[in-house]
Amino acid sequence: MDIALTLRLALTTTAILLLIATPLALWIASRHTLSRRIVQAAVALPLVLPPTVLGFYLLVGLGPLTAFGRLLIRIVGHPLAFTFTGLVIGSVIFSLPFAVQPLVAGFSNIDRDLIDTARVLGASPWTVFRRIIAPLSRAAFLTSAVLTFTHTVGEFGVVLMLGGDIPGVTRTLSIAIYDQVQDAQYAAANHTALWLVGLSFVALLAVYSRNGARNSRSEGDLA
Amino acid sequence: MLNASSSTPQVQLIHHHRLSVDHCIGSLHLKAELNLSCMWTILFGPSGSGKSSLLRAACGLLSRHGIRFIRSQGREAEDLILQNETTFVPPHLRAIRWAPQDDAMFPHLSVLQNILFSATARQSIVSSETLNEVVSVFQLKPLLNRMPRDLSGGERRRVSLARAFAAPGCKLMLLDEPFSGIDRALRDELLPQMRAWLRDHDIPVLSVTHDVEEALQLQAEVVLIRDGSIEDWGYASKVLAAERDRLRLNLSRY
Repeated sequence: MDIALTLRLALTTTAILLLIATPLALWIASRHTLSRRIVQAAVALPLVLPPTVLGFYLLVGLGPLTAFGRLLIRIVGHPLAFTFTGLVIGSVIFSLPFAVQPLVAGFSNIDRDLIDTARVLGASPWTVFRRIIAPLSRAAFLTSAVLTFTHTVGEFGVVLMLGGDIPGVTRTLSIAIYDQVQDAQYAAANHTALWLVGLSFVALLAVYSRNGARNSRSEGDLA
Repeated sequence: MLNASSSTPQVQLIHHHRLSVDHCIGSLHLKAELNLSCMWTILFGPSGSGKSSLLRAACGLLSRHGIRFIRSQGREAEDLILQNETTFVPPHLRAIRWAPQDDAMFPHLSVLQNILFSATARQSIVSSETLNEVVSVFQLKPLLNRMPRDLSGGERRRVSLARAFAAPGCKLMLLDEPFSGIDRALRDELLPQMRAWLRDHDIPVLSVTHDVEEALQLQAEVVLIRDGSIEDWGYASKVLAAERDRLRLNLSRY
């Protein structure tokens, strides 16, 4: 049950973040102004903040104490703290830099002349993205998705602050391990931890397999 | 600043372009007015004189400040303002094609897909006749299924030119050093065919070179650019006479 919930949270977060991070990364990669640096710093903030700080602000921000929280409650019909939706919102914010940064690096690596040439040849901005940027950034998209997924699977502080520990609703694998250790159920904790190690390893293996295949192909080109 | 229109031999062009640029790029102040009234106009000048930037201005790839580009059709007054303070037509909606200096081949597409890129991007089709003509002009038939990484520099150059030629709806062709990386024998073979094809399709050309021989061979109108400004213009034999003598002098020293 905990693993299904963890996977559901990680997959939902990854899907939402790819939708948000792609336009954000395109914007960052195409600017060289002060606004770019401000946005980049804001996006990277969850990397350095203790997860409990982020969780605390989200708990307060999404609750009835703030105007934004009250608006959300009116839209959704109930408070978001200690619900799966609240957990998804928290995860999206917490994992934002892991989704955005690989994409910014990928988009920035594309030769500007390719994009300019495509535009002059008649490609609209959307066609340039679809036919040039996206296919040339496949590795960046994969890295972004896997990092977001694994980071969400392993997150603890935000989930504990924002989600509490409700079995079947907000208790993810990392919280389950904490509970099991608290109850001195070391065998069960070991079992859960192995799941996490396996899940993360397989995801990272996927990234390295792909990047490894790419590298050996380009080495072949040189030879 | 010189205006290259007054005493140019009048060739009846369907599309007439006037590009006026007053624009700063880094330390270079680009200030020039080009009036394209010949089938082939050459921008000639040393590296860093602003030749490629003029082409980019025409494509709409520079910021709009200080750039005007007007196309007129037939004998009627100008019917399309491409760029001024209030109207900006983005690059993909301009009837201009560009073969940039560094080839810019799309690395994930085959040679054929590169050549057809413009048509597919605009959801238009290239007639098999046009495609065959372009492939034959640039002698690309054996290369069509290859990927860019498998091509030599000269082959990439030809594909890049063919991609611009095969783009539908072109009313002005911009070629940035079209023969760099192509050996002289092949250039002599390609040039007359390219010129004939462009004439048949009524597409005027603005190209960039710093090769005197190439400019003389094309018998085009030459616009000499130095430090962002037009220094001289006219027939290649006249404008480049001094340049040719200088080169001969240099050669005779060895």
